[in-house]
Amino acid sequence: MTALRTVQITRRVDPHLSVDRYDPEGELMLLHFGPQHPSTHGVFRMDLYLDGEKVVKVVPHVGYLHRAVEKLCETLAYVQITPIVDKNDYVAPMTNEQALNMAFEAALKLEVPRRARWMRTLFAELQRIASHLLWLGTFALDLGGALGGGSTVFLHCFRERELVLDLFEDVTGARFHYNTHTIGGNRHDLPAGWSAKVHAALDVIGPRLDEYEAMTLENRIFLDRTSGVGQLDTELALELGITGPILRACGVDHDLRRDAPFHAYDEVKVKVITSQGGDCLARARVRLGEMRESVRLVRQMVDAVPEGSINSGKPVKLPVQTKIPPTQVYVAIETPRGELGSYLISDGTQFPYRLKIRPPSLHALSALPYIVPGGTVSDAVAILGSLDPIMGEVDR
Amino acid sequence: MSEGLLHGVVYSVLIVTVVLTATALALWFERKFAARLQTRLGPTMVGPSGLLQPVADLLKLLQKEDIVPQDADPAIFNITPPLAALAALGAAAVVPFSPTVVASDLDVGVLYVLAVGAITVLPVFGAGWASNNKLALLGGMRAVAQSISYEVPLLLSAMVPVILSGSLRLGAIVQMQADHHWFVVWPFFIGIPAFGIFLLAMLAESNRIPFDIPEAESELVAGVTTEYTGMKFAVFYMAEYIHTLVASAVGAALFLGGWDGPFRPGLHWMVLKTLLLFAGVYWIRWSLLRFRSDQLMGLCWKVLVPTGVALVAAAAAWVVLR
Amino acid sequence: MSGYFASAARALATSLRNLFRRPVTVEFPEVIRPRAERYRASFALLHEEDGDEACIGCLQCERICPSEVISIKAGGKRESPISGKKRGYADDFVLDLNACIYCELCVQVCPTDAIVMTREPEQPAYGREDLVLTMARLYANEKSKHRAWGDATRLNGMQVPPKPPKVEAPAPAKPAAATTPAPSPSNAAPDSPAPAAPGSSPGATPGGGPDRSSSSGPSEEGTP
Repeated sequence: MTALRTVQITRRVDPHLSVDRYDPEGELMLLHFGPQHPSTHGVFRMDLYLDGEKVVKVVPHVGYLHRAVEKLCETLAYVQITPIVDKNDYVAPMTNEQALNMAFEAALKLEVPRRARWMRTLFAELQRIASHLLWLGTFALDLGGALGGGSTVFLHCFRERELVLDLFEDVTGARFHYNTHTIGGNRHDLPAGWSAKVHAALDVIGPRLDEYEAMTLENRIFLDRTSGVGQLDTELALELGITGPILRACGVDHDLRRDAPFHAYDEVKVKVITSQGGDCLARARVRLGEMRESVRLVRQMVDAVPEGSINSGKPVKLPVQTKIPPTQVYVAIETPRGELGSYLISDGTQFPYRLKIRPPSLHALSALPYIVPGGTVSDAVAILGSLDPIMGEVDR
Repeated sequence: MSEGLLHGVVYSVLIVTVVLTATALALWFERKFAARLQTRLGPTMVGPSGLLQPVADLLKLLQKEDIVPQDADPAIFNITPPLAALAALGAAAVVPFSPTVVASDLDVGVLYVLAVGAITVLPVFGAGWASNNKLALLGGMRAVAQSISYEVPLLLSAMVPVILSGSLRLGAIVQMQADHHWFVVWPFFIGIPAFGIFLLAMLAESNRIPFDIPEAESELVAGVTTEYTGMKFAVFYMAEYIHTLVASAVGAALFLGGWDGPFRPGLHWMVLKTLLLFAGVYWIRWSLLRFRSDQLMGLCWKVLVPTGVALVAAAAAWVVLR
Repeated sequence: MSGYFASAARALATSLRNLFRRPVTVEFPEVIRPRAERYRASFALLHEEDGDEACIGCLQCERICPSEVISIKAGGKRESPISGKKRGYADDFVLDLNACIYCELCVQVCPTDAIVMTREPEQPAYGREDLVLTMARLYANEKSKHRAWGDATRLNGMQVPPKPPKVEAPAPAKPAAATTPAPSPSNAAPDSPAPAAPGSSPGATPGGGPDRSSSSGPSEEGTP
């Protein structure tokens, strides 16, 4: 993990600023950027202390979407857990399932067949394209408004995302919440003619990425709104445990796909996109670059999927079938949001003793009290959008 | 005297009726146009090609519960929506839609338009204050700052046709363009930049993207109209459309030659130009992202005002030297 | 300043270009988008070819459902009116679509391919009661033309390693076979007699394929 021209900030904002001792110009206003808001990417509350238009202190509140998923999983057999954790990061469900099943396979020391690993890689990369498209759409919505230019970008992105979801529907039968991974491999094999459809979809998406860059990265208004906004210094990012595009935007060249390969990433070369600056613009650049890289990877891999079986274990017949001997494993994969980890403690029965999920968005949100103060309310919205939090996985 | 009054009343009623109907059509047009820009269809189910959609929207808003928040100021809260609509409509009184169709061709037409347009600041701020809602208050503050600031470039750009034609009367301005050239055609090096500044200032006055920070609903839910429900929200909404329509008409009269045309000048040219400007405003709205408030202010004071002053000076020099 | 005009012009041009693209809207409900073959929307209970109910009341689907939406009243073993042999039946079978998460696990574990999914494009309902699939509705859905591709044999057939074809002529092919017509011969099938032996391979399916005479009740209680 090398750091290239990282972002350094000499004086950090104090997230625990005492509002009683702060001397505002006028009056300090507390604004609840509340759970009911068009831009908070899910149920999330930020308490903004405003000195005029300038934000002085931010207190984020999470937990509005807590559904006790981890506790629920302690009562479910291993094969039943996959469709439940689908709903954590509901924008990139493939990677959720993969992280969990990789943990189970690691605990059982099962080797996933090569075809299944290739398929998992393809699904992960296609899911990355879909997830970043959704991010781009919602980010433009934050910046441009639901009645205006933002919604135009939003609808264009969703139009392309539908193509990817149709591909997933062909394979698994569901557009969202696929439940297509299982212990030992995948459940659904690729239908005939799927790779032709993938190429057709990417032929549409590829050129549209140029359009998106023209509408965003080369747009002066977008540059004004995102350049220098929400600058996150590298040391703070590393301290908070932030991974994924946000860390790469701070100049750190770290990507689990290349540094700790899983699935079939050891057989292909992944170009890691980094950027300098650590601000919203850098994060946008990284994500748009990742989309292009994913398109390239999928094109490279979809025709070369090796033959073979897709499951090295037995297909599920009884829920009690899988019992994992007492062990502890931690497995992490690179999702569109960063490092998603599953930590499993098993005790020999068919239920896990403890299943902990390490969500990347939670760590991203913990940077808010540091990077939002100093900007205006508009900047707060832009920063929150650029961090790409998904409350489902933050709260579980 | 009474003849002028009768003429004024008749044409006022006529123009108001037409403008309000046009607003309903403009609602439909915007939704279809915005939809097509986003490769979708827009309203299709209600009426042929969705033409009755504004009626459906109106009926829906009529049957909503009328809520006045608990600690809101009821007098101001209730008076601001109709005031906004009236202020927007008021400017239509002096616009010459054709050589004969004009409600009241005041000698100080341009001044009147700018003054009435400035009244629209009051209902917006009143709504922001009286709602007892911090989001609305933020929106109201931003709206006041933006509207007052952008009055200056609006004024400066409106001065250019006044100077070039030598009269504040809108009828005379249009007549001058009909006799000679439209101001965007000649002198184009003064007319086009002035028209551009007028367009930007008009966008800012009606809170259209890229200047819609006061009602930025990704930040402020609905800005000043957050607490308004039902018919009052409908009136606010309509006031925005009316403002845009009337401002397009004013712009067409000041810069694009009003009812003048290459052949058979008349009302239809005015309507065409207004609609073109209106479509242009919505084309911009649905394509661009919004400015942040400090960038917006910077644009106004650092770019538009100096350019406006220079244009006024250039127009004056042009008139003197011609 | 010129940067603003240039990027504004480019954004406007992009919008204008989209004005002339064909809208992607599908005018529902006049036009209904076709769903993929494997699409999972609703459920159906099947009969065998000889007319007997395929469901043997083994309760596997009820046990594996993560949302516990299936309620079965097992009928115990009784004589089949059609084949004469003693076999299990389900007296009542209720599936609550309101809480179903469409994970397809119940389809996968069925030893007799009794429960399958259908792919209705739409399932409107006026109330929650309308979305509770009773046994009658489930058997009525059997005649629906929206059958999805997946049933237990096919799903498990996709996952097991393909067996090399036997030298001697194999037993006449299983009826519900994994030798499917066009839809999706999985790319894993090595050569033409597709994975024809899920039932015959010893370790793969303990319940045995569409073999209904073995009651294949669970050997241990699974759920707490």
